[in-house]
Amino acid sequence: MPKDSPLRKDRLSRTTLLSLMFLILILFASASHTLAHRVVVFAYVEGDMVYTESYFSDGKRCQHARIEVYDSLGNKLLEGKTDKRGEFSFKPPTRKDLRIVLTASMGHRDEYIIPESELPGGTEGRARGYEPHEAVGQVFPAEKGGEEETPSSQLTRLEMEQIRGVVEEALDEKLKPIMRLLVKQQKERVSFIGVIGGIGFIFGIMGIILYFKSRMVRKMEV
Amino acid sequence: MHISEGVLSAPVLVTGAALTAAGCGIGLKKLDYDRVPQVAILTSAFFVVSLIHVPIGLFSVHLVLNGLMGLLLGWPAFPAILIALFLQALLFQFGGITSLGVNTFNMALPAIFCFYLFGYAVKGRNNLISMGSAFACGFLGILMASFMVAISLVFTGDPFWGIAKVVVIAHLPIMVIEGLITLFSAGFLRKLKPELLEVAHAKR
Repeated sequence: MPKDSPLRKDRLSRTTLLSLMFLILILFASASHTLAHRVVVFAYVEGDMVYTESYFSDGKRCQHARIEVYDSLGNKLLEGKTDKRGEFSFKPPTRKDLRIVLTASMGHRDEYIIPESELPGGTEGRARGYEPHEAVGQVFPAEKGGEEETPSSQLTRLEMEQIRGVVEEALDEKLKPIMRLLVKQQKERVSFIGVIGGIGFIFGIMGIILYFKSRMVRKMEV
Repeated sequence: MHISEGVLSAPVLVTGAALTAAGCGIGLKKLDYDRVPQVAILTSAFFVVSLIHVPIGLFSVHLVLNGLMGLLLGWPAFPAILIALFLQALLFQFGGITSLGVNTFNMALPAIFCFYLFGYAVKGRNNLISMGSAFACGFLGILMASFMVAISLVFTGDPFWGIAKVVVIAHLPIMVIEGLITLFSAGFLRKLKPELLEVAHAKR
């Protein structure tokens, strides 16, 4: 019996170890799609409204959280609460940079800044943006030099403006999901590299502490 | 558990930082040379484990493991939690650099508390008492930390019981899960490496 017991103990420990590792694996598997613990707010402009979305970064929406909007000088412009889907929308009262601050429960907070140029009616920025297109538009028919192109170049300025407006709108619509995804990805920065890097940091710090402690020990011995 | 940047007022932040500094001082003083690797391993565990979310209940909460940290480390849990939280703030934007002191204190104080309250019972001879204490250790670690968060947030102007209720209810599933994790870990260590449960008590 005494000979048997260490073996049994060993086997027992191995199964415990395996089951523990299995547990950890399950935990990780279930966690893989729900990383990061903080709140995220992001906003986009559509028409003349600003839409904000708030969620915990594992995807759960922040319901009934407080949203405050400040201008660049720190004056509070307006305040509101998110709805059940974590959304909140408002009509921007100014055309300055807007700072949107989300305060959720348990001390969670995040900010998002909408630059002036994205706000509706920030026409100066857009008008400047048009010019290169205009230049291309004029060069384009000239290059082809075909007869069919001549009528198009004779389109009145007004019509061109209208087409541009429609195209702009359609593009905005098409690009919106991509923009949202980009903003989201920019804000969610938990990565595998971060995790591994963090563990590396900790062991690096351990090395430094061990180094100094070993020097102290050696000094005490001398 | 992590309070974000810009939520708390300066006096709360400074107080938290000062208390954490004191705790870390004691922790480093009590840290034996041979225990540094053990502390580092638990620090990495603490660092990684907060990425594990528990999608139960209304809120999004994650594992903390501060009870286990306290149980196994004692006072060195302070610097360990500080480092782990610092890296979480830096790499994952959990919490924030300015609120680091408060956050560390909120999680480390319950750890120390659990250590003194349950440390001896967990390493004791009675199996049932040991298991019960280990569970209570994990459970209470989170419960206390929840109250600490509520206390820190009181100074932002919200009423204490309102916040405390939200935080505690949100963390109820975590309390149970952490209790179980601490129970299994302590049971595992008692069987295999009982000396690991002893070392925290060795140098007082």
